[in-house]
Amino acid sequence: MSVRRATYLVAGLALAFLVLAPLTSIDAAQQAGLPLLTDKLWFRIATTVAMFVVMASAWNIIGGLTGYASFGNVAFFGLGAYTAGVVVTNLNLPFALALVLAPLVAAAFAVIVGIPLLRLRGHYFAVATLGVGVAVGEVVNNIEPLGAATGLFLPIIRSDLLFFYLMLGAALLAVLTTWVILRTRFGYGLLAIRENEEAAAVIGVNTTFYKVAAFCIAAALTGIAGAIFAQWNSFINQDNAFAISDNVQMILMAVIGGTGTVLGPVAGAISLELIIQTLAGGGSGSVFSQIGLGVLLAVCVIFIPRGVIDFFGGRSRLSLRYFRQTLRETSV
Amino acid sequence: MSQFTQQVILGLLLGGVYVAVALGFSLVWGILNIVNLAHGALVIIGAYITWVLFTRLHIDPFLSLPVDALALFVIGYALQRGVINRVIRAPLLFTFLLTFGINLVIVSLLLLIFTGDFRSVTPAYSGSGLHLGSIVIPYIRLGGLAAALLLAGILWVVLNRTRSGTAILAVGADRDAAQLVGVDLRHMYALTFAIGAAFAGVAGGIISTFQSITPTAGDPYTLQAFVVVILGGLGRVSATVAGGLAFGLIEVLGQSAPGLSSSYANAIAFVVLVVVLVVRPRGLLGRLA
Amino acid sequence: MSLLAIRDVSKRFGGVNALAGVTFEVEQGDILGIIGPNGAGKTTLLNCISGLYRPDAGDIRWETTSIRGLAPYRIARLGIGRTFQIVRPFPSMTVRENTAMGALFGRPGARLQPGAALNEADMVLDVVGLGEKRHYPVLRLTVPDRKRLEVARALAMRPRLLLLDEVMAGLNQVEIEQALEMVRRVRDSGVTIVLIEHVMKVIVGVCRRALVLNFGRTLVEGPPAEVLKDRRVIEAYLGQRYARDQEK
Repeated sequence: MSVRRATYLVAGLALAFLVLAPLTSIDAAQQAGLPLLTDKLWFRIATTVAMFVVMASAWNIIGGLTGYASFGNVAFFGLGAYTAGVVVTNLNLPFALALVLAPLVAAAFAVIVGIPLLRLRGHYFAVATLGVGVAVGEVVNNIEPLGAATGLFLPIIRSDLLFFYLMLGAALLAVLTTWVILRTRFGYGLLAIRENEEAAAVIGVNTTFYKVAAFCIAAALTGIAGAIFAQWNSFINQDNAFAISDNVQMILMAVIGGTGTVLGPVAGAISLELIIQTLAGGGSGSVFSQIGLGVLLAVCVIFIPRGVIDFFGGRSRLSLRYFRQTLRETSV
Repeated sequence: MSQFTQQVILGLLLGGVYVAVALGFSLVWGILNIVNLAHGALVIIGAYITWVLFTRLHIDPFLSLPVDALALFVIGYALQRGVINRVIRAPLLFTFLLTFGINLVIVSLLLLIFTGDFRSVTPAYSGSGLHLGSIVIPYIRLGGLAAALLLAGILWVVLNRTRSGTAILAVGADRDAAQLVGVDLRHMYALTFAIGAAFAGVAGGIISTFQSITPTAGDPYTLQAFVVVILGGLGRVSATVAGGLAFGLIEVLGQSAPGLSSSYANAIAFVVLVVVLVVRPRGLLGRLA
Repeated sequence: MSLLAIRDVSKRFGGVNALAGVTFEVEQGDILGIIGPNGAGKTTLLNCISGLYRPDAGDIRWETTSIRGLAPYRIARLGIGRTFQIVRPFPSMTVRENTAMGALFGRPGARLQPGAALNEADMVLDVVGLGEKRHYPVLRLTVPDRKRLEVARALAMRPRLLLLDEVMAGLNQVEIEQALEMVRRVRDSGVTIVLIEHVMKVIVGVCRRALVLNFGRTLVEGPPAEVLKDRRVIEAYLGQRYARDQEK
C-alpha cells in the first residue's frame, strides 16, 4: 500500500469518527470502549484537528499550489483572532460580525505584505515571512488596547458543539476553495508559477496578481480559523495566537499529506494532529510534546523528501527499501 | 550631541554581538546553503555553558569562551554528520523544517535541564565602564566587541590561510567539483557546521554577560543573524562584520526613536529586512533570489 | 509600419554592456535570423523584447505602441510568444497540459476554459510533431522533444510573432532537419519569426534576412548568404588571422 493511500485511509477513518463522535453522548463514547476520552477532551481534540485542517489547506494554496513556502501564515491567524477580540471585547459587537471582519482584515494585510514579499524567493521569502509572523506578534504585544503582554479575554460562550461545527464549517470551506481553485484557470496559473515562474510570465500569466491573490485567499481562510479560535478559547495572547510552531505544523501537515492536492493537507492535518495530541498526553507535559514534535519533524523530513515527489504519482511503497533509497538520494 | 555619540557607541558595541552571532550563521548559509533556524538555540547553549562555569567554578565569562567554542564544535559536528547531512540534497523547505525541529528539541531540553528561570552572569566588573567625559563605555560590551572582532579575524584566517578553509570554500563554490578533486564532502559539511556552531557558542558566551538567559532567549538572534547577512551580503567575513555593526547601529538608533522601545527589537529587525530586500530585491549579493 | 521595431536598445549588467544600442525592424511575415558568438547579447535581446528585462535605454515598438518596460504577461497577450534556450517546461504536467497553458493564458481576446485549451493543445502538438506523445509526463521527453514542446507552448498562444531562442542547439543533423521543417511549417501558417541561433548554417536554411550581433552591437545585416561571407563576421567568429588567411 502506498504511503499516501495509508495516510488517506487512516485520515478518512479518523475524520468519520471525529465528525460523528461529538454527536453521541458520553455514554456512547464509553460504550465504544474509549474510556480515556471524556466528552470535553474529545471536542477539544476534534475542534483542534479541524482548525489545523483549515490552516494546512490554506497554507497549501500559497505554499503547495503556488510554491511560496510561507512561514508567516500564523500572522493571519493571529490577526483574525485579534480582530475577533476587538470586535467582541473592545467594541461589544456580536461574534458573527467578527467572522466576517477577520478574513477581510487578514486578506488586506496579505495584500500589504504580499506585494513586496512575493517578489522574493527561496530562503529570502521564507525568512521574510517568518519575520512577519514574529514582528506582528510583537507589535500586538505592545499595544495597550489589545491587552498588551497580558492578552485579551473574550466573554465565554459555553458550547462545545457550536465551536466544533464552526471549525468544521471553516475546514469544509477551505477544502472546497482548494477544490474549486484547482479546476479553474486561476489554479492552473498558480501551478505554472510554482513550476516555473518566468515561463508562466511569458505565456501570459499575470504572476504578481496571481501570487498576491493566492496569498489573500490563504490569509482569509486562516483569519477565519483565528477568529473562531479566539472566541472558542476565550483568551488570546502573543503565544497562542502568533505561535511560529503552529506555522511549522501547518507546513508539515501539508507536506506529509501531499502538497498541491485537495485532500493531502486534510489527511496530513488529521494524522499529525492526532499524533501530536497523543504525544501531549491530552494537554499535560508540554515540554515533552515539544520534543516529540521536534523529533517528528526530523523523522518526517529525513524520510519524506522523495515521498513528496512520489506522491504526485502515488508510486511510493512503505518499505524498508523505500526509506533506504530516500536517504541515499537526499544525503551526502 | 554627546547623547547621540553615546548612542552611536552603544550601537557599535551591540553590533559587535550581532557580528559574533552572524559569523557562524553566514558561514553555514553560504557554504551549505542552509538557513539554520537552530542557530539561536546553539547560541544559547553557549550562554548556559558560560553560566554554569561562572556560577559553579567561578570562571570569568570571557575565559570560558574557548570552552563554549569546543563544546559547540563537537555538538555541531555531530548534528551535521548525524542528522542534517541526510537532507542536504532535499528541497529548501526540508532543511528549514529540520532545523526548526532541532531548535525545538534543543530549547525543550534546555528547559528540562535549566528550567525557564532567568539566569545571569555577573562578574565583578559588570557594572563599571570607561568614562570619557559624559560618555560611558561598559567594559562588558567593550570586551564583547573585542571578542567578536577577534572571532571575525580567526574565521578569515581559517578560511583563507588553512587547507581545511580552502576545502570549505571549494565546497561552497561547487560541491561536485570539490568532490571530484578528492574533498570528503560529509566531513567538510560537518566541519563547516561545527565551526559555525562553535562561533555561535562563543556568541552565546558573550551574550550571557549582558543579558539574562532563558532557553528561548536565542530565538530572536536567528532572525537578527539573517538580517545581518542580508545587510552585509553573503559569503565574506568582512561583509558580515559590516552588516553586524550597521545593524547594531540601526537597532539602537531605532529604539531611541520616539514611541519605540527595546520590546520592538524583532519588529525593527523585520522592517530593516523588508526594506533592504525590497530596495535590493535580489539580496545584496543576489546569490539565491 | 513594421510589426516590431527595436531602436537603439541598451542593457547593462554591472559593468558589462550586454546590449549597446541595437537597432532593427521585423516586418509582418518576415523570418529574421539573429546570430552571433557566445555572449554577444542574443538572449539578453530576447529577454528585453519579452519583458523579462527592462532595457536601460532605447525603445521597443509593437506596431504603433511602445512596449518597453511592460510586464511580460502583457507583452505575451499582445501576441509575442517565445521559447527558452534552456527549456523551461512545467515539470509536473504532461506534454498536453504544458501546451494547453499557452492557450489558456496567452490569448489576446476571449479567455479559454481549461477544457477548450486542452483541445487547442492537441491541434498544436500535431503541428510540432508531438501528437503521439501528448500524454507523456514532460520528464520522459528527449532533448529535441523538449525543444519542440517549448515551441508548442508558445504556438498555443496563437502569437503573431514567435521568438525562438536556439531551438536547434544541441541537436544532431537529422534532428536539425526536422526542426527546420517545423519552423517552415510555422512560418507558412503566417507567424512572423525571429530565430536566434549560434550555428550559422541553420539561418541560411530558413531565414530571408540575417543580423549578426557582436559585443551587444549590430555587426552586419542583410541576406544570410552575404552576411556569412562578410569579413567582419568571419573575424568575430574565428578571429582576425583566420579572416586574413581566407582572403589570400
